Amino acid sequence: MSDGIKSVLTPAESQEETQQIHGVSRRQFVHAAGAAGLAASVGPFILPRSARAAGKTLKILQWAHFVPAYDKWFDNEYTRRWGEKNDTQVIVDHVGIPAINSRAAAEVSAQKGHDLFMFLWPAPTYETQVIDHSEIYQECERKHGKAIDLAVKSTYNPKTRKYFGFSDSFVPDPVNYRIDLWGEAGMEKGPASWDDVLKVGRKIKDKRNIPVGIGLSAELDTAMAMRTSLYAFGGSVQDQQGRVTLDSKRTLEAVKFVQALRKETMTPEVLAWDASSNNRALLAGKLSLCLNAISTTRAAENEKLPIADQLGLTKALRGPVRAIGLEHVMDCYVIWNFAENKEGAKKFLVDYIDDFLDGFKASQYYNFPCFPKTVPDLPKMLAADPHMPRGKYSVRGDVLNWATNVGYPGYANAAVDEIFNTWVINTMFAKAASGAMSPEAAIKEADTKCKAIFAKWQAKKLV
Amino acid sequence: MSASIARQRAAAGRNRPWCDDEALLGRMLLAPAVIYITALVGFPFFLAIFYSLSDATVGSTTLHFVGLRNYEGILQDPTFWRSLQNAIVFTLISQALVVVLGKILAMALYGDFRGKWLVRLLILLPWVAPMSLGSIGWLWIFDPVYSIINWSARALHIFGPEIWPVWLGQPDLAMASVILVDVWRLLPLATVIILAGLSAIPQDIHDAAQVDGAGFWRHLFMINIPLVMPIMLVALLFGIVFTFTDMIVIFVLTRGGPFDTTQVIASYSFFTGVQGGDLAAGAAISLFLFPVLAAVAVVFLTLARRAEVA
Amino acid sequence: MATVETRALTKRFEASNAVDAVDLLVKEGEFLVLLGPSGCGKTTLLRMLAGLETPTSGDVLIGGEVVTGLAPRARNVAMVFQSYALYPHLSVRGNIAFPLRAAGAHRDEIANKVETAATMFGIQSLLQRKPRQLSGGERQRVALARAVVRNPVVFLLDEPLSNLDAKLRASARDELQQFQRRLGTTTVYVTHDQVEAMGLGERIAVLDRGRIRQLGTPLEVYHDPADTFVATFMGSPPMNLMETDHVIRGFRPEHCLPREVLGDGGEITPFALTVTRIEYLGADRLIYGTLEAPNPAARVIARLPSTITLPIESGKRYEFAVRTREIKYFDRETGLKRAPTAA
Repeated sequence: MSDGIKSVLTPAESQEETQQIHGVSRRQFVHAAGAAGLAASVGPFILPRSARAAGKTLKILQWAHFVPAYDKWFDNEYTRRWGEKNDTQVIVDHVGIPAINSRAAAEVSAQKGHDLFMFLWPAPTYETQVIDHSEIYQECERKHGKAIDLAVKSTYNPKTRKYFGFSDSFVPDPVNYRIDLWGEAGMEKGPASWDDVLKVGRKIKDKRNIPVGIGLSAELDTAMAMRTSLYAFGGSVQDQQGRVTLDSKRTLEAVKFVQALRKETMTPEVLAWDASSNNRALLAGKLSLCLNAISTTRAAENEKLPIADQLGLTKALRGPVRAIGLEHVMDCYVIWNFAENKEGAKKFLVDYIDDFLDGFKASQYYNFPCFPKTVPDLPKMLAADPHMPRGKYSVRGDVLNWATNVGYPGYANAAVDEIFNTWVINTMFAKAASGAMSPEAAIKEADTKCKAIFAKWQAKKLV
Repeated sequence: MSASIARQRAAAGRNRPWCDDEALLGRMLLAPAVIYITALVGFPFFLAIFYSLSDATVGSTTLHFVGLRNYEGILQDPTFWRSLQNAIVFTLISQALVVVLGKILAMALYGDFRGKWLVRLLILLPWVAPMSLGSIGWLWIFDPVYSIINWSARALHIFGPEIWPVWLGQPDLAMASVILVDVWRLLPLATVIILAGLSAIPQDIHDAAQVDGAGFWRHLFMINIPLVMPIMLVALLFGIVFTFTDMIVIFVLTRGGPFDTTQVIASYSFFTGVQGGDLAAGAAISLFLFPVLAAVAVVFLTLARRAEVA
Repeated sequence: MATVETRALTKRFEASNAVDAVDLLVKEGEFLVLLGPSGCGKTTLLRMLAGLETPTSGDVLIGGEVVTGLAPRARNVAMVFQSYALYPHLSVRGNIAFPLRAAGAHRDEIANKVETAATMFGIQSLLQRKPRQLSGGERQRVALARAVVRNPVVFLLDEPLSNLDAKLRASARDELQQFQRRLGTTTVYVTHDQVEAMGLGERIAVLDRGRIRQLGTPLEVYHDPADTFVATFMGSPPMNLMETDHVIRGFRPEHCLPREVLGDGGEITPFALTVTRIEYLGADRLIYGTLEAPNPAARVIARLPSTITLPIESGKRYEFAVRTREIKYFDRETGLKRAPTAA
């Protein structure tokens, strides 16, 4: 947790200043001049306030939140209030998860788009296209204390010493399990270790014909779950210094374990899943356990499904080396170099952290703070959640002790990002688990691929 | 002085209004197509070549020339070879099915029957419907939990209690599933094209063949198929191009899974270039579509010309 | 060689009968022409003979056997289409060989017969060509060769000459007749061109609105039309008709001559005519005129051979006449031929 924080103090502030001065494009200038001229000529006759407000806009793009109530609050309440206070018209656009990367690529190639662009994962690839966000971190840390290590690891490039994004929040990825089924098997509190999942999961499957459901497909949840098990068994894609370390005995153990898990506790359907399949299957009563954010339990509560009372949460599973979980999604805001209202965007993020408690509530405890002091009573609030079974959300109270970033134990760099997005780790596990390849061969293949990807990005001097 | 004026007048007299100048008018009418092809086909194509020789990422604006390094990397990548192989298998099987089924369907629709227009409309629907929507529909049809195929087959006792295929989760079934969806999508186009070809055959030819003593199969293989062959090749050419370059079906249904067994060039290029951020490698992968497509186009156009009839 | 017969053959399309209870007997080896205006049902009738069209009722007999329900291929008839319907993707050889291959003939037999048929029509040098490389006349010969190659019992020809230019048509007509005589195959020939019908047919069946109006030799049909339809359909210009009380009197333009030319030999029927227009056709002069009282004011056309040099001017009144025995009588109600005695 400590290695990222030091570097917060080494931003290239002066550079940032000059960039802004030179960054004003001719078009921006013409725009601004035009607006000012219009305001001057027409302003005295009609509503001077709105004319003044029209001079500043802040355009935000973010995902369509899994908790719809959050979007309602963000679009209609929070940003409106903030806009009035700051004399700015705030426009919020939403896109689905699969469109985020393509949208970002489009904005970059057009050099035009939103002032604030939110990725749901670290976006190191865009480092050269964004401003250094260290200033925002500094301001927030001055007010609310240190940001969590997970946030820094997801938005900082130690090689270039640049913050390529700003994380306001993250979503933990706890274990979702069926209290009734696991209770019947003598484990009412849910599994504590990967070994429990294998042994008891097998028992439940044999008895009730309800399998465990951990994805082995080319999708986000699988990518998270597989890394969780990889890390718990002591393996990793890279080390702290960013060297590929995938081909290890630890990785082999993890792969062999998942192979056994697949054979003994799961059905082949996990190979076909998309990112929401596990939610659906759990709610349909077809799974005894899965790894997912709390959107599944919330959906069950909102829809008033009978199964809601039987869904329990538990924290990251212990492996032979450690108990560790991943963020499920990681909010990463970036401000493009070509953003038209950089100052507004920065101010918005700082203000948003000030008001983060409201956001936490609006997201129905889905968005966890990257600045923990903004939600001081987090464990108490989680414990007070009224839904049955009571206190199930408490398990996430100490999430920071067990949640980590993609790229652990190193940073979420561009190579890690490409490995993540081309599903290299998913494929490695799936190939071995389905028997299409021996674990050793699957690891070897993935390791070669990772090394090639790292070499590529090292050549581009981003890793 | 007066001579030059006269010459000018003569010149003016020869100058017909521009809309009567066929050469000029022809060029003007052709211009939108040329601009369209240049802007939407030519430019991206050369941009892709340019990218593939550079170190472009989605986040970079300054590019450096790196020679063939991206291609070297790709050729050593087993996933690429797997994708190439999958793309070829995917295309060949689905297009073989499309042509055979399209021919059968076109012949069924060629005859006159009640409600023909309705049937024709229904058959065209998959083509008209947006591909992504159609694919999402199929995603549900193949869903591991809710698959309507499995539920129906079980209800009809076609599947025993132990049989529950996971359509998109088993490599062979997944490939079969994406092929099925591709056939579903391209069949209408092929059918309509072949139907047009069938309709273009004069009724006299069919009558003559009948009187000359040809039975159904002889008629089919000696008259019908040879006569629609040129246009069938066009349908096939379209189909191969659409299928070989398509990633929507794969992207929506399997995202290349399970473990890259349905990964094709187009989807792998997208995952690497856009999702993974390595624009240069993505462009280089996508360029492997080009020689295959160019070869296919040349072969088919040559064949079509040879088979062309008066 | 066989007879072709239809019994009360009817084909109903939508609301009307395209072919309406037609009884027809084509004799063995006969060249019969189905003549009529477009839409009279002649092509439909022919297609029913071929088996390409299913009759609504009635029967088709070939060689005395009912073939109504049989497919075209089972009838052993050959058909030549107006468009020739050559298979565009096959060479001339392939086209001619097609019926033989369909019949499962042996390779050598096919080669021999194709050679023979090609020789008969003088197209041996074209065998490697594709139909699109042939002229209209050549295509027509290929179509005929394809029709004769497998020795059918009946030839059905659907306006096979109408796509040829006028000059070619005359010689083609001649060839067609010669080869039919040589082969002696029963032939049914459809045309709307009376010149073709007169020149080719041993007998002509004149059709109108799905019915046979008259069946007879060309001379009978021309000189002794069964009704006013046949009378006005045959001949160019057609027969002049004069309506009086209960009878229609008809006479051919070439029988209508200036009175002084006819002289006094035999009984004549004179009438006065005001000439409105004169057409010079080289061998003939056509005189258009209007009948004067006491006759009803009908238009009359006279055809004067160029041997009659008598000056006639437009706008003047002349005495014309017809030999009374050349006058045909038709019932005014039914239009049918009747006896000359007035009712």
